[in-house]
Amino acid sequence: MLPLHESSPKGKMHRHAYSNGHTAYPSMGGSGTFSIQPHKFQPRSQPLRRRRQLIQRLLLGFSIFFTGIFWFFPHLRPNLGSGPLSLFSSNDEFQLETVRYYDLNNVGGTARGWEREERILLCAPLRDAAPHLPMFFSHLKNLTYPHNLIDLAFLVGDSKDNTISLLTELLSDLQAAKDPKQQFGEISIMEKDFGQKVNQDVESRHGFAAQAGRRKSMAQARNWLLSAALRPTHSWVYWRDVDVETAPFTILEDLMRHNKDIIVPNVWRPLPDWLGGEQPYDLNSWQESETALALADTLDEDAVIVEGYAEYATWRPHLAYLRDPYGDPDMEMEIDGVGGVSILAKAKVFRSGVHFPAFSFEKHAETEGFGKMAKRMKFSVVGLPHYTIWHLYEPSVDDIRHMEEMEQEKKKKEAEEAAKKERLDKIKDQFDFPSSQWEKDKTTIHNMAVKEEKQAGGSKKESETPKKEKKFAKPEKIHDVRGEERIEKKPAPEKLERIEQ
Amino acid sequence: MPTPRSLRRTNPFTIVLAVILCCGFFVFFFSPSSNDSSSSSANRQTSDTASNALSPPSLPFRKLKSNEPAPPPPVVHYHLNNLTTSKDPVANSETVLILTPLARFYQEYWDNLLKINYPHDLISLGFIIPKTKEGNAAYSALQAQVTKTQSGPKNKRFASVTILRQDTESPLQSQNEAERHKMENQKTRRAAMAKARNSLLFTTLGPTTSWVLWLDADIVEFPPTLIQDLARVNEPIVAPNCFQRFYNDDKKEKDIRPYDYNNWVDSPTAKEMANKMAKDGILLEGYAEMPTYRSLMAMMHDPSGDPGMKVKLDGVGGAALLVKAEVHRDGAMFPAFPFYHLIETEGFAKMAARLNWESYGLPNYLVYHYNE
Repeated sequence: MLPLHESSPKGKMHRHAYSNGHTAYPSMGGSGTFSIQPHKFQPRSQPLRRRRQLIQRLLLGFSIFFTGIFWFFPHLRPNLGSGPLSLFSSNDEFQLETVRYYDLNNVGGTARGWEREERILLCAPLRDAAPHLPMFFSHLKNLTYPHNLIDLAFLVGDSKDNTISLLTELLSDLQAAKDPKQQFGEISIMEKDFGQKVNQDVESRHGFAAQAGRRKSMAQARNWLLSAALRPTHSWVYWRDVDVETAPFTILEDLMRHNKDIIVPNVWRPLPDWLGGEQPYDLNSWQESETALALADTLDEDAVIVEGYAEYATWRPHLAYLRDPYGDPDMEMEIDGVGGVSILAKAKVFRSGVHFPAFSFEKHAETEGFGKMAKRMKFSVVGLPHYTIWHLYEPSVDDIRHMEEMEQEKKKKEAEEAAKKERLDKIKDQFDFPSSQWEKDKTTIHNMAVKEEKQAGGSKKESETPKKEKKFAKPEKIHDVRGEERIEKKPAPEKLERIEQ
Repeated sequence: MPTPRSLRRTNPFTIVLAVILCCGFFVFFFSPSSNDSSSSSANRQTSDTASNALSPPSLPFRKLKSNEPAPPPPVVHYHLNNLTTSKDPVANSETVLILTPLARFYQEYWDNLLKINYPHDLISLGFIIPKTKEGNAAYSALQAQVTKTQSGPKNKRFASVTILRQDTESPLQSQNEAERHKMENQKTRRAAMAKARNSLLFTTLGPTTSWVLWLDADIVEFPPTLIQDLARVNEPIVAPNCFQRFYNDDKKEKDIRPYDYNNWVDSPTAKEMANKMAKDGILLEGYAEMPTYRSLMAMMHDPSGDPGMKVKLDGVGGAALLVKAEVHRDGAMFPAFPFYHLIETEGFAKMAARLNWESYGLPNYLVYHYNE
């Protein structure tokens, strides 16, 4: 036994020094016990431990309470933000972005937009345009401007054909392209019928009487399209008709480089050879003239001057007529009226309120009124006389009639020729080659003449007659060898013989 | 204490975590069913949501997860034929775009806006703020309020908010009342204002918008049913009467006085003045130097009259103005140039008239302007 343990009061040996509150330290005598109060091991958080059950119950209660609350009042659910906790959030409503900030000073439009990633809105109003769509889409695919920066907007109105379904199909194909560079930006198709009564065929479209009303409803369609499709991100707006047949792939960059507020190329159309090969198409791009201004003053408030019709002689210089095929394509010309086939304009023009007047604005409507209004707001409006794009040639009713006549004539001619040929062949088959006969006749006549001369040198007149016959007959045979003539000519030698006899 | 051993051993934090997880799971599992059972507003919202960031600003869009590759933007059809502007816009779920050109932010304006009891998920807001010192202050104040509202209770959230900044071409040095209303400053000021309004309008007007409510930033009080009340008039353009509250020193009591004089019916005198004017001259209302003798709607107010009474107007003000979206879509905008010698909102009424849309005013229906 160790002496230290003997001194312990209980006189017992304890293997577990801590179990009864004693420390492992030797006792210090005196009281005989070394003690630290309390004489028991104490967990650090005694009160928490004691109330553990209460806390657990409380937590359970709260969770049930909140679950119930959130169940019945969904809008009270906490917004867990977009962090990792959002996995617990109720649904995709928290994934919704509702606030957008834009600075319109960044979308003013510059000469080198493709480098500054400037977005273009391409607008195309459509009506019964299904036949032209495949051509239009091939143009779209060929554009060299980065496609992801081009937003497409279409307005389809009063269409009776399958324009909408075809358009949707072609656009889906476009966006499904494997090459992400072929995919375009935002694509919107607006469907809106204005109840236009004017037919869209060439004749009724371009008749003078229908013009004012037609232009106003076209303007309305353009405004509806633009107001629904223009976004704060757009720097440029490009208006393009679907029936453009030929245009450079770089047209957007080419027009943009001029850095003008509104710019249009020259628009011509190819024609069949019998109509002269080519012709100016868009006569709505022009410079204002004194005559036209004077004319405008005489008209009433709602009148609309339409260009290209004999009814209003305006004597304005037209962009279209100034074209020189070998001229500098970068040459600019200030204009006042604008044609709508292909317009590139800075978006700020439209943002400031310039639009296509669907009423008579300074006696003009639609694109011409657009040019006038832009001028009024001091924007630059420019045309390129020697930079040409080609509109599709759609023959007019007159042209079609003319072409039908030409076609019939051609057919008639062909039929005639075929008949002629057939006859010729027939002749060849049925008759011997006539020259042998002629030679025979000639020698006979000659012989006879010789004989006659020998017989009687006095009768000269009679000997001249066969010579005359010979002169007439020969060319006829060469020109046109016909059966009847042959038959007619055959008696000639007989006649001679008769005369001789 | 009779705590079971198993519980005694586990750390309390583990339990807390478990409970939080449980809550999360509950919320996660229950929410879809609660969504189905909730009102039509939830369904409406999902149908009016764009799937791509490239979409009309009048629609909210679904954000992409950060690591997701962007899908090609979809082909979206908008059926503008189905867009209605009826007498009862709530029943037809017609969307309203509230547009405000903002130069100064008043908390009263925002508080009042939140009180509108038209379903907020049918309302989109659009603001345009000039890039000036004052504009910057307004911008940050507005941003704070928008963030607060859009992350607050769902029924108070608006469908979308678009905030634009733009340099004004002729920024006046001061927006204070006296400077702003000087006659010589009016033409440039209102031309700049017209351009700001047009910029705001044509970039935020979406293909789904039915109505446009123009509301000036200093309109601080109107009935919460403003949109329904103005729509009920069922006219293309409707303007309430804009008044101002003030302390009447003569009567020693609170009083109201007319504020906006741009709502008027044309007079022969004004027409004659316009005819004699140079091409670029403009007629202004409310200036003694230019007596036009037009009948002003501000003066037609009758406190005891029927608030639904309407008057046909030839010129309108922009303080508060409910416009059917098709009027704007047809091209009626705020001319920044003299249009028939009228400019901005007055020119707008004239242009709308040229497009065969009529303007009406409600002389006994009041909205209140801030008193500086």
